[in-house]
Amino acid sequence: MNAWDELVERCAIRRRKKIGPLSDEAYAELLLAVRADPESFVDTSVERAVLIMARALDAFRASCRNDDLLDDAAYEAERTRRMAALHAECVRARETDESSLDASLLQALTSELEPDPLLEELLELERDFASDEPPEGDAWDDIFYRPHLRLRAAVARTCLDGARFRMAESAAASVMDAAPRDPLGARHTYMLACARLEDEAGFDAVCARFSRQESAWSHLSRTLLLYKLDRMGAARRALRGFSELCAGGAYALLRPTYVEVYLPDRPEAAPCSFDECLLAVREAEPIIADVPDFIPWCQGQEWLVESARRFAEGRDLDW
Amino acid sequence: MAHNPQREDYQRLSLRFARELDQGDPVAATRAFASFGRRFAQDRDSLPQSDADRAFHLAVLAAEIVDYQLPFASDEQAQTLIQRGKDLLDEALSLDPSCHDAVRMRSSSLTPSIEARYQFLSERAEDVRASCEQARESAGAELDGERRALAQDIAMRPYWRWLASLAEEALICGRNRVAADVAERLLASDPRDTSDVRFTLAYALAKLEDEKGLAELERRYAEISPLRGPDDAWIMLSNVALAHKRCDFAGARAWLARIIELYPGAAGALIRQAELPDGEFARLRVAPYSEDELILAISEGIVLLQEGNDRSGRGVLGSWVAREVARLDPAAAREAAVEARPGEGQR
Repeated sequence: MNAWDELVERCAIRRRKKIGPLSDEAYAELLLAVRADPESFVDTSVERAVLIMARALDAFRASCRNDDLLDDAAYEAERTRRMAALHAECVRARETDESSLDASLLQALTSELEPDPLLEELLELERDFASDEPPEGDAWDDIFYRPHLRLRAAVARTCLDGARFRMAESAAASVMDAAPRDPLGARHTYMLACARLEDEAGFDAVCARFSRQESAWSHLSRTLLLYKLDRMGAARRALRGFSELCAGGAYALLRPTYVEVYLPDRPEAAPCSFDECLLAVREAEPIIADVPDFIPWCQGQEWLVESARRFAEGRDLDW
Repeated sequence: MAHNPQREDYQRLSLRFARELDQGDPVAATRAFASFGRRFAQDRDSLPQSDADRAFHLAVLAAEIVDYQLPFASDEQAQTLIQRGKDLLDEALSLDPSCHDAVRMRSSSLTPSIEARYQFLSERAEDVRASCEQARESAGAELDGERRALAQDIAMRPYWRWLASLAEEALICGRNRVAADVAERLLASDPRDTSDVRFTLAYALAKLEDEKGLAELERRYAEISPLRGPDDAWIMLSNVALAHKRCDFAGARAWLARIIELYPGAAGALIRQAELPDGEFARLRVAPYSEDELILAISEGIVLLQEGNDRSGRGVLGSWVAREVARLDPAAAREAAVEARPGEGQR
């Protein structure tokens, strides 16, 4: 979530409403002006809440930069501290504007809950904020509706974490239906759920729906799906695809790294990049753990191990 | 219904004995048959038998040791028992290399991983089917009437147990669709479900979150298991899992309450969620609706309980079940907590 961009757009739209119809050029000018100094345009309580979150998220991300220098105990302490700080800011944002769904969502996500209680909170938010009708057309284009989509995508991911794969699938599908370009990547959650439910037709359908654009999730889901269906030749080819077409895919799979909770949605990463692989492997974790010999099977593929080792050497990573 | 190795051993020898008696004088035959039970128990070697019968007997002895004695043995005894079981199976295989039960049981210690065991069972399943069907054909040609039916049934059982093991192994490997398919293959071959593979099928359907499939299976119980309705621990735990997965917590609680109502000692077992090794010969034979049966169902149900990113390591459903049951029965929870402490309670 780019809170600053959304704040700018919110302020600009309100301003336009106030001063009357604007030409596209004039609106673009207005956007530029707001972008130059968003804080001076903040006027309503909703906007003030978004501003609090934008600053809090900036602070949170800035405090992550030195993590590599910390030992485990110091890292744990630092992480707890910044999570608590972000949480406190979310509470403040909510106090500023009770109708801020983003603040409520972030507050739930920073509560460090187990999958079940987290899901309960998210579903409660869906009930509390149910009155807003989804807009016509691509719901993502309506900046005021985006928090609902983010919440729904978080529900889908939390369902996946809590081993509720049908629910994950239907929540992800509803996000894709409402926002067909799927900027939140609900299709990734959907693909993983298909893999776990061994639903090949569902997986193929969602791949086709997104013009077979590959991602770390699609490669990894396909590998898991075919492995689970005991089509081992095809599974091996899919694993090779993951390893060769996703940078550092082999390394990400064999040396999984801690990935921070999504606040509030998945961080952006280039398709099939190493960063994307780290995210995909983290999201697939409950599914991988449910297939006990999957990782040993991967480790048995010499070319995969070799690819991971080469990647580690090239990037000066632990191996 | 469950497989009963000793009984099957008895049936095999009595069939052969009866067949040999048929060739002689009927009066003498009646007298001789009266002595069969005693000779089976005390002087087995004096009875007519083939190498296949002897091999099967050794597999039965191995089953007694590995499946029924080993779980209760001390650590020192365990190694001896395991070795004894292996020796018996090796001896069985030296007598009859196509003793499928011995091959299957031996494979669990010869294969290095569950994946390898799964592949081993999967690759050979068709050969075992062909071999058992051939045995069934020849039994059909040699016998008639009830004996024929029994001999044909016995001929197929090694294949049924093979598929039952394969289905269970597939489930453990995370191959739930394969598990369901294999279970259906077994039900098609043995519609009376001697192996109780419907239990494994229920779990596979729960893993696939196939609500319709599970409801359909419950309906099919009327044909598969006319004497026992769909209220076994496997069906009920599957329903707990499905209700929990769709966030129907009241529904999941109601199913838990039914399990507790139907099975003695259920609360403790549901809190402990112990994982036991699967029976090597077949699923262990325990009394329906006994505490032991529930313990087996829970152990096999680990695939459902221990799933999801739960920090306790018990799984999302496992933690929920333990918590809910502890709330329903605090005394059982205290007892389980005492047992879980090292050096106290059960080993």
